[in-house]
Order: sequence, then C-alpha cells, then structure tokens
Amino acid sequence: MSKAFQLDVNGSQWAVEADPKTPLLYILRNDLALNGPKFGCGLGECGACSILVDGRAVRACTIPLSAVGSRCVTTLEGLGDGDNLHPVQQAFIDAAAAQCGYCLNGMIIATVALLQQNPSPSEADIREALRHNLCRCGTHIEILAAVRGAVELSQADLRNEAARKVARMSGGATETLERPQ
Amino acid sequence: MTVERETSKDDHLSREELLAVLSAGASGEGELYLTIGADGLITAFNGHVDLGTGIRTSLAQIVAEELSAPFEQVQMVLGATSVTPNQGATIASETIQVTATPLRLAAATARHFLLAKAARLHELPVESLIVEDGIIRTATLENWSMTFAELVAGDHVRLTIDPEAPLKPVSDYRIVGASRPRVDIPQKATGRWTYVHDVRVPGMLHGRVVRPPYAGFDHGEHVGASLISIDESSVANVAGLVAVVAIGDFVGVVATREENAALAAKQLKVLWRAAPERPDLNAPEEALRANPSTPRKLADRGNVDLALAGATTAMDRTYVWPYQMHASIGPSCAVADFREEGLTVWSGTQNPFPMRRDLSILLDLPEDRITVERLEAAGCYGRNCADDVTADAALLSRAVNAPVRVQLTREQEHAWEPKGAAQVIDVRGGLDIDGGPSAYDFETRYPSNLAPTLPLILTGKIPAAPDTLQMGDRTAIPPYAYGNLRVTVHDMPPIARASWFRGVSAMPNTFAHESFVDELATAAGVDPIEYRLRYLQDPRAIDLVHAVAERAGWVPHTKPGTLGGEGDLLYGRGFAYAVYVHGKFPGTAAAWAAWVTDVAVNRKTGEIAVTKVICAQDSGLMINPDGVRHQIHGNIIQSTSRVLKEKVDFSTTAVTSKEWGGYSLITFPEVPDIDVLMIPRPDEPPLGVGESASVPSAAAIANAVFDATGIRFRELPLTPERVLAGLNGGGQAETPAQRKRTVWWKFGLPIAGGLAAVAGLLTMGSPWRTAISPIERPDANVYSSVTIERGRLVAAAGACNVCHVGTDGLAFAGGRRFDTPFGAVYATNITPDVENGIGGWSYPAFERAMRQGISRDGHHLYPAHPYTSFAGAEDADLQALYAYMMTQTPVAEKPTETKLKFPFGIRALMAGWNAMFLKAAPFQYNRAEDAEWNRGAYLVETLGHCSACHTERNVLGAEKGGKAFLSGGFADGWEAPALNAHAKSPVSWTKEAFYNYLRSGHARDHGSAAGPMADVVSALAPLPDADIRAMATYLAKGSAPAGAADEVTTAQTVVAASVSAQADAARLAPKGARIFEGACASCHTGTNALSSLALNSNLHSDSPDNLLQAILNGVEAPAILAQTTGRETPEIMSMPSFRDTLDEQQIADLAAYLRARFAPGKASWDGIGDAMRRVGSVVH
Repeated sequence: MSKAFQLDVNGSQWAVEADPKTPLLYILRNDLALNGPKFGCGLGECGACSILVDGRAVRACTIPLSAVGSRCVTTLEGLGDGDNLHPVQQAFIDAAAAQCGYCLNGMIIATVALLQQNPSPSEADIREALRHNLCRCGTHIEILAAVRGAVELSQADLRNEAARKVARMSGGATETLERPQ
Repeated sequence: MTVERETSKDDHLSREELLAVLSAGASGEGELYLTIGADGLITAFNGHVDLGTGIRTSLAQIVAEELSAPFEQVQMVLGATSVTPNQGATIASETIQVTATPLRLAAATARHFLLAKAARLHELPVESLIVEDGIIRTATLENWSMTFAELVAGDHVRLTIDPEAPLKPVSDYRIVGASRPRVDIPQKATGRWTYVHDVRVPGMLHGRVVRPPYAGFDHGEHVGASLISIDESSVANVAGLVAVVAIGDFVGVVATREENAALAAKQLKVLWRAAPERPDLNAPEEALRANPSTPRKLADRGNVDLALAGATTAMDRTYVWPYQMHASIGPSCAVADFREEGLTVWSGTQNPFPMRRDLSILLDLPEDRITVERLEAAGCYGRNCADDVTADAALLSRAVNAPVRVQLTREQEHAWEPKGAAQVIDVRGGLDIDGGPSAYDFETRYPSNLAPTLPLILTGKIPAAPDTLQMGDRTAIPPYAYGNLRVTVHDMPPIARASWFRGVSAMPNTFAHESFVDELATAAGVDPIEYRLRYLQDPRAIDLVHAVAERAGWVPHTKPGTLGGEGDLLYGRGFAYAVYVHGKFPGTAAAWAAWVTDVAVNRKTGEIAVTKVICAQDSGLMINPDGVRHQIHGNIIQSTSRVLKEKVDFSTTAVTSKEWGGYSLITFPEVPDIDVLMIPRPDEPPLGVGESASVPSAAAIANAVFDATGIRFRELPLTPERVLAGLNGGGQAETPAQRKRTVWWKFGLPIAGGLAAVAGLLTMGSPWRTAISPIERPDANVYSSVTIERGRLVAAAGACNVCHVGTDGLAFAGGRRFDTPFGAVYATNITPDVENGIGGWSYPAFERAMRQGISRDGHHLYPAHPYTSFAGAEDADLQALYAYMMTQTPVAEKPTETKLKFPFGIRALMAGWNAMFLKAAPFQYNRAEDAEWNRGAYLVETLGHCSACHTERNVLGAEKGGKAFLSGGFADGWEAPALNAHAKSPVSWTKEAFYNYLRSGHARDHGSAAGPMADVVSALAPLPDADIRAMATYLAKGSAPAGAADEVTTAQTVVAASVSAQADAARLAPKGARIFEGACASCHTGTNALSSLALNSNLHSDSPDNLLQAILNGVEAPAILAQTTGRETPEIMSMPSFRDTLDEQQIADLAAYLRARFAPGKASWDGIGDAMRRVGSVVH
C-alpha cells in the first residue's frame, strides 16, 4: 500500500509516495531521476547501487523506503560541490578508471566512505574496502590507482584547506594591523 | 526524461550545408560514414558499438588523425540503425582491425576533397597546402588560412569513399598513437552518462518477465510449449498492474511502477510442465563426448599415426574447460516503443543490425520500420541477454500499446545468458628419439552456436532446434612447427545455451596447446621457453617471447620446484604464448600475447594466488596506447578469474548459478600485480586487442602451478578443492548433479501430537460454555483519553496487531495464518465491527476471551491466542485495552475461519485442555525484587506473553512449565531461542543487550530481530523506555549469571575463533565458502556495523531453522530504524530473500560452511534437508 515519505537526498528534501517496502534504489532512479546508482543484483552483493547514508556506504537495492527516515542520503550526483568534482571523482577520471563504467558508481562511493574513515589507507586497506564491489571488465588496476590518487588529492585538499585557514587567520591579523594606519 | 535518439541518416543528409562521405551503394547511395557541418563539427559513423573497450575514443582518434582535425571536433555515432553503416555484430576484436578501415578511407576522401577545394578557390597548387588542426594553410602566404567550416559552408556535397584515397603516412601521426583520455569517463564518474538502463520515455511503463523452468537451455520440443496455465488472480492485488502477457512460453507483466512490476513477476502463479533432464554438465567431459558431432579436419600433415606409434614417450592428454558466463555486472535492460508506424528500441545490444532482423521476424514488421538506438550497457564480452530483453520489451510494448522498459533480474541474466561453452580437447603426442615432438594429434569439442534471441523461440516464432556452427576452430592450429600434425574439430550443436564469449574456443584450445608443449619440454629435459623457441617460426612471435622472458628475468630451468617455498606456500612460475586467430577458419590473427606468471600455492588449503603477471603484447600500431594497456589489464584480470574461480553449476534441468555466490568473480585482494610490455610496431597495421591477452592465461597459470607443485592440472577452474585433490593424489571428481530432486518446500508438515492423548480429553471438563449476549457497539466517547492511551500501550506490549493484522495490512482486521502442529489457525478480526469483529462484545465477554479463551458465543478459542498468559493481567490493563480496541476503525471483513482436521477441529476439546493447562490466577508480584524487575516480569509473563513462543509446548500444544519456561520453543516456523540461562548465544544477554534488541531490533553481540520477532519489536515501539528497560532488567536477571565474563572479551574470543576456523570451514564446505564470500560477506564482514555471524545465536543453536528462515525469506530492516540517524546506528539494509536464488544444495553447502566457520566448537547440523522442508512448509 502506497504511503507518503519525505527524503533527504543530496541536500534537498523530496516527497515521494510508494509502497514502504520499495527498495530505495528504485525511488532514487525512477522518482528522483538519479542515475548514478545502478541496479546490479538486487541482493546487496555487487555494490553497483551503492549510496552514502549518513556518510556510510550502503547498498540501495536492499534498503526499504520505510527504513530511510530522516537520514541523509548522498548519491554519486551529490558528491561534488556545485560544478566542482569531488576529489575521488577527479581521481577516477584522472586514472581512466572505467571500462564499461557500470560499477564505477559503487567504486567511487566505496572510496569516499573509505577515505572518510581512513584518510591514508594502505594498499591492503584499499583492496579490502573494495573487496565486495565487483568489476567484470577487469579495471581493478586502474581503480586501485584512482583510489591512491584520491588519497593524494584528498590530502592535498586538506592541506589547502588548512593553508586557507591559516591565510584567513593571518589575513585577519593583517587587517587588524592595518586598521590603525 | 532521458530520451536518446540519434539523428537519422535522412536528417543528416537534409542539411543544406554539408560535406558527407558515403560508401558506394550497389544501387544508388550507400551508407553514411562521415559528415562535416558548416560549424566545422565532424561526425563519424560506425556500425560497431563500444562495449567498454573505449573504441568510441579510438575511432575518433583515427578520424581526427586522417583529417588532421582537432580530436575534440570529432563525434562518433555507434551502432544506431537509423544512421550507421551495417557492419554486423561487434565481435572478434575486429572494430579497429576491420571496420575502422572504411572510416579511415572516408576521412581521407574528405581531407583530399577539402584540400582540393581550397586550392581551387584560391588558385594555389594543392601540393603547397598543409592542413593542421582543421585549418588549411600554405607555406607561401603567411596570413592566409581556411577552416573546414568555411570550406563546407554554402554547399551540399556528397562524396563516395575513394578506396584509393592516399592515406597519411604513419610517420606524420600526431593523434593516433598518442594516449588520449576516454571521452565518456567524466560523465560516467558523475552520473551524467546515459546507459540503456537510464533511458526514460514519456508515458513509459515498467515490465518484468517470468522465464520458464528450463533455465539456460534453448532447444528441444518443450521450448515454447511448457506453459500450462497462469493464475492472474495471484497478482490481482498488485497496485498499478497494467497487463499480464503470455505468448507461448513468453510470460511478462507490465505495471506503472517498477517495484510493482517486480512484485507482480515474483507473485504471479505460473504452472509449467516439468523441464526435461539434461546430461550432467558439472563435469562436462562425458556430456560433450556423447553430444552428436561431425569431425572436420583442419590440418593433416606428415604421418601422425606412424609417428605416434614410434614415439619414445607417448603422452595422451585431455583438457577440460567448464561452462562459464559473461557475467555482466548490470543485468540487461531495454526500452521499446511499439506504434502503428513502427518500433523504436533503446538497447544495449552488441549486434544492432542482426538484432533488428530478429525483431522483424518476431513482430512481423519490415526492418525499415524498426529503429535500434544503441546505448551503452554493462560490459559484455560476447553475447549476454541484451538482445533477449530488447525483444521482451518489444513484445510487452506491443501488448500494452505504450513504451515499456524491461529490466532483467540478476537471476535471469545469470541463468539465461548464452554461456561460454564447455570444451574438451584431446591431444595425443609424445617425444621422438631426439626429444622433439613426435606428433601432435589434436581434437576439440565445443558445443556452441549463436544462441537465438530468446523470445523468438519462447514464442515459437522460430523452431527451437539447435544449429550446429563451426565455432570450435579458433586458434585450433598450434603455433609450433610440428612435423606430424593433425587437427580435428568435432562440430556440434550446443547443450546448454551458449554463444561467443571472449576468446571463444581459442582460450581452451590454447590451454591445451600451451600446456602440452610445456609438458613436452619437461619430458625432454629442456627449459619450457627454449623448447618452444625451437619450434616457433613466426618472427614477431619469437621477438615477443624473447621480450617477455627478458622483462620477467626468466631463469631457464628443466624441472619443477626450483623456486622452492615458504611455510605452507609453494612458489612457481609459468609461461604461455598465443596469437589469437579468430573468425571463420582459417581466420584472422589479432594481437600476439605472451605471459610469464608467478603463483603461490598453499598446500594446506589448496588456494592459488596469482601474484604477478608479466604480459607482452604485439598489437601492431596502437591507436590509443593507454586504451590498449587497459584492455590488456582487463583481459589478464578477467581471464585469471575464469581460470581460478569460474564455473557454471547446473541441476539436472537448469542452471543453478544465479548470483555472485554461486558464480564467483575475482575480487580486489586477489588481483595480481601486472607488468605490461607493449611492443612498439607503429609501422604495422593495427590489430584487435580486445581478447588476445586472455588467450595464454590458463596454460600460463597451470604451468606455473606445475612449476610450484609438480602436478599438471588439465581441468578448470583451479579451485582449492581441485588443487587439494591433486596434491593428495586424488582425482578431480565433481559432485554430479542430484537426479530427480523433489522440490523441498512442497512437502507437508508431519502432524505432531498423539491422537490417543487427545481422545482421552473427551471425558474431561465441561465442554460447553454459555454465550454472552451481544451489545450495541460501545460509544467511543465514553472512554477518557487517558484510558485509551493506556490501552494503546497494552496493545503494544501484547503486540496484538502482529498476529491480528489484516492480510492487506489493516490494523486488527485478522486473517493471518499460523501453521501449528494441529493445522492452520487464522487470527480473528478484533476491530469493533459488530458483524465480523468484536464490536458486539461486552467487557465481560472480552475479559472472558482474554483470560479464559472463550469466545463471546461460548466456543473455545485455540491457545494460539495466548490467553494462558493474559489470564494474570491487571483488570485496569484489560479494561483499558477494551476501551482502546472499541475506539479503533471497524473493518467489515470476515477473515478465513480456522478449521482444524479431526480431532483438533472439535473445539469443545479445548475445555479439557483448559482444565489441564489454564491457571487463571492474577500475576504474583515478587516482594524480594524491586519495582522495575516486577514491572518487567509482569510485562514479559502476562501482556507480552513471551512464553507463548519462547517456551516449548507439549504434544497438546500447551506451554511446558518449570524449567522449560522461557527456555526456547518453536513458533511460526522459527525457533524462538531461550531467554534464560539456556540461551545458546556465545555472549550472555545483558540488560543493555535486551534493551537494545527490544528497542531497536538489534543487539551488537547477538544480531538483529527477524521474522515474527521483528514484528514484535515494531509493535513494542510505543512503549516508554521505562517499560523496555523493565523487561530487560527482568530478562537479564534470569539469563546471565551476575558477574559472568565480560561480554566484550567473550565477543572478541568468539569472533577470533571464527577467524581461525575459516580455513577448516572452507576445506569442509568449499562451495559454501564461495557462496558466503560472494553472496553474504558484502554485509557480514568485520568491516561494517552488522554483527559478526559468530555472535549470532542462530549459528550456535541446535537447529538450523532460523538460519534457513533468514536465508530463504530474508530479514527486513526493523522499521524502527527509520527513527534513528548517525553513523553508529545499525544498518538500515534489509537482508534479501534467497528463496528464488539459491537451490537446496547451495543452501546446504552454505549452512555447512556457516556452522563450521562461525560456531566451530559445535557439531555440524544433520538433516538440513528436513529442516528446509520444515521451515519451507510454513506459509507466510
């Protein structure tokens, strides 16, 4: 039986009406036209439909609509900041980490979740984190390179952010210094 | 809406200002290859499609190069039947090698025309003009230039491809041969690329198909003739259902929303004839030898028979390749829009033009009224279900007169995709007196054809008779100069549905060639590479072999074991080489490839790790070197996966590998390090690179395993159990498919209980009770809001709606079925409807029913209604509950009545039963305990009636007393585990654990509530925290002895034990281990918030029932999770049902593994089959 739900997806509020058991994946794709998450198995096995829920990578094909509540959902489309790519997306493009690209969504989402938990993962950490994201084309080598690239980009981002903070602080100080003149 | 439609050829050619290049048509105008617009934009057309190999980018490079135009100005249109040339199916790595040739000539033709035009306009000698980046200049006039756009503007010109057009010398190449980022990846990485799965057309409906039971077999008289009947009433309740469509054995459903189409397909009751039995394809050798075939001799030189007779060392070898699958990551999907004027399909097909012909036959529609829009799909490596699903969508669209999108399920894609066929190769040979190869007598069997598009045979449009094609001959001629050579291909029809799969028959043929030559070398006491070089004559092959040996630092050796080992590991290194010859015999050679690979073999577990692959490839001119490198990587990884892990499993009638646990793929931790050496050959023609590097894989790995272990493996995949059997000197036996398996969930439940005992009751007690007169329905306004609220909480504590919920979800409407040992009991309607519910019941009638189990009219209720617990409830609680129930919405529906079989159908017997088992006394509070404990005890023992499920019942269905109280029982097909000190869970239940479990449905050290208990947790949601804590306090006191080992330490110990048990469990149940890894471990690993299964009580129980329940029916995420947020909260994912996905054998394998791995101290479960029948018989 259809029910009305309010969802928080990519920072916006969405009203949808569907059977409470509907997998969130169908809602994201069909009602919200978000094509990033892909249908792969419907069994939570392959990772193609991965999304972030409250920052954690989960498989949208096995989440009933009724379980989402007010949690924050982020899809591949919501990772970047306006026109700016998320550093993980940038790293995957730089490494040409796709053949057919169908698994790419899951790989990127899993990497974003990994780097949030562990900003400087080892090679073994990376391989383990992606263990249950399947790729059939054999793009693993490029994907691993992309994740290593993402680690560097994210750390560079953090350094830049810190530098900007310092600059703001010192800029502020300059202003105070300059004011008396 | 995402509607992708390519501009048609006519529309392209209708532009007034245009330069177009077409092929020479037999009559009139030919096919379109290239256009340049007045805006300078270049559009190029190719009939092949991009399967993820990046040919969209490479073809654009070829066009840009030949035109000397900027790469960014070129756009490729691939495989759209309305505009691209018909270049057949995208197969055999031939896009760059074959179909790019006319495109390159078209670009050259255009370039010469533009140069000539510029020369003419400005009266300059054409030789003086140079073109760069789409701009024509002359060395003599510094400020003069013309763009392509200017030259095209104002004119409409159509050129015919000039087959003699001079091509640019390779030495001038700047775009071709330089790596170029793929044009599609930025959009794919941001979700903006439109795959076929993403197409949405206005008014589009959603379809699903229901396939017949002979999954994965496409020939025989039963194909298209197995449907007996469809019960449409089984989907009458599906919202938005538009149609159920059946044509022959084609069955589909259409609904307005995707989830409803999926529900309808799952729920639709279809009766099929039993599928015919097939030969055992799990160990395919026998079946392939028995398959009728026609020998075809490809080579016969020297005198093979004589040489064999004279061989000093005779070697007769057989190599067996299993059935494998393309295993596309996304199941196929298509959209079709059938209208009077014609059909448009949006398809991920690999073969747009051949598929258009199939659609034309299927729908009796001329080909020129069918448009195929080709969009990318999940990678395919030959032929998956893309064409099938397009035809499915077309049939459904025609039936409902609207555009329909059809998405296949994972199970359908796995089961029905045309497989890569099994193959059996026999080689007879040996050494001559000088240690050279005496003869090479090679015979190969490969049961495959093109696999007809499924709806054509399901609907009976074409007969389901198996074609015999000549597909077994790819790379059948060995690359070595064997003086006495005979090569025979036994052409045969398919057994299981099969078609092209990357490397086709070349991969198995090369497995044989390169394993055999390795064995010859060892027998001759010669280094394997040196031995090959003695008989290799192709200079490019020789260069390649030298190059890879040097790159790998190959150390010549004449026997295995030279690399030694470490602990349980044995190290080895292997070599193999092939040039992939594809297409109809004698075929065309694609790129040359050679592997050196390192392995580590664990002699205890049988696991093989491919640790390094050094691969050299000669691809001729490389259009996009990075693209070539990625193709080599992809081939190495995919073929390593095939060699180590991949094999399709079959029952006697169908494919049983229907998801990633039943068909395992390589995972990231298993991916080898790869070193690629690309031989620069810019002056040689470009060669196909899509498959070549796969071809040497199997022999290279098997040869490396021989080097490590001294054992030759000639059958794939190299699973741990096969390797262990080899190491232990045993055969490589495969479990044959069990014959004539009965569908286990169809068995009835044996009736428990003793008739004699029941008969004895007849003499006891007074069976008849008086009716209590009906009343007018009480006015809801007479109850205070405080009373109603108290009643609401009583109803929550009693979880009344869990049992009394209506079949359509209406609260308290009744009708839910419970299977008891005595028969099916249906819950009654307890809404205040006078006719059908309890609206006419006075409070005394209600109280009597609650405390004594007597209905208002005097008949006895069965103790499925837990009145024995409610008997002790506080008056005020029952009064409040009455008030609450009377204020609910009445539902005027009569649920199914309970009708038990004799003697249980005699309700009067319950009088005797009550006399024996009903103790109608108020609840006794315990003064020695505090108020919280007492509140908890009251809730658990009366309103909550926990004992109704968690206490064992005697043969008469009464809860046992004494020690049995809360010591565990069975209910509704589930085991309700002990809630006291008898609990089997490895970590004791603390107050906190009980609280978390009852409040959120999840306890860290125990797992999640499932089945009826999940419903109970949801029902308890309205209760205040204090009540939940009270229950937890009471239960915890009865459960864990105070001061028991702290749960953190216990949990760690238990989890550590499951880690230690992993290898033993995998050895005991290797298939179960793979199913766990592929199907379960994505959630059930230590890396996410779900509890380890080692802590789950179900794995430690004496019975596997709850585990089987979870696997068969799934576990829904407790609805209460929707009220929680944050990273630390439990997972919101539900566990899917595997009822339609895994078969009985797979579940038994999985359960055996889970028990051995996660409860290593416990005895293995006997009678999994019986338990499945027990659990499966419960109707939900």
